[in-house]
Amino acid sequence: MSDLYIVLIVALIAWGGIFFYLLWIDLRIRKLEKKR
Amino acid sequence: MGVLVLKIILAFWMALVTIGAFVYAPPALGLGDLARIIFFHVPLAWVSVLAYLVSMIYSIRYLKKGMMVDDRKAALNAEIGLIFTVLATITGSIFARFTWGMFWNWDPRESSIFILLLIYCAYFVLRSAVEDDTRRARMASVFSIIAFISVPFLVFIIPRVYATLHPDPIISVESGFQMDPKMFQVFMASLVGFTGLYAWIANIVSRLSAVAPGTEGEENV
Repeated sequence: MSDLYIVLIVALIAWGGIFFYLLWIDLRIRKLEKKR
Repeated sequence: MGVLVLKIILAFWMALVTIGAFVYAPPALGLGDLARIIFFHVPLAWVSVLAYLVSMIYSIRYLKKGMMVDDRKAALNAEIGLIFTVLATITGSIFARFTWGMFWNWDPRESSIFILLLIYCAYFVLRSAVEDDTRRARMASVFSIIAFISVPFLVFIIPRVYATLHPDPIISVESGFQMDPKMFQVFMASLVGFTGLYAWIANIVSRLSAVAPGTEGEENV
């Protein structure tokens, strides 16, 4: 597999990680907002 | 529910941009695959300018209305801007390493972004140095407005005035439009995606600071 595809896969995994982390924080804040 | 759909669209949008950047867009003439960093480096720089602009708008709003929530949002947007500037600097220096042989050359473009980083670091030093909330908010707001005035000079004007190693802008007065149509499509999609990502991050940090202890009763717009 060429280096370009390895970089692509790493970038997609990184983006997936960032997305789910942001989504998780978003849901945590929503819970806190409901408590307040 | 509608907002969740937007976030899912953003997830797929950015995934498509990433695939487009590495598969759909052709390598650039002369630079080859290295030019693909433009799909991430330029949007990062764009988002940092946008965040500094929003920070300045909230600072002006604070000076007009005197609401602490505006000062808080100005600081949060400046933080986001600083993070994105650091990321743009890192991606830029990676590009520099593989094209010019060094991570850092003190090129006019690199020097101007370094000055920009120092200016916004000074903004946070100022904020941490003043204890009185109202005084800190007023001084930081004035600083943020002056700091943003320097942004167009440091990002757009100075690097174009002096001879630089940095590749030409995509659209320049001298040479006109220079990008392959496929590259341009991915580039524009990336700009839109990163802007959406910034909007989401700004929304999260704003809501997070509003639920933090000590901010009860503050309006969260």
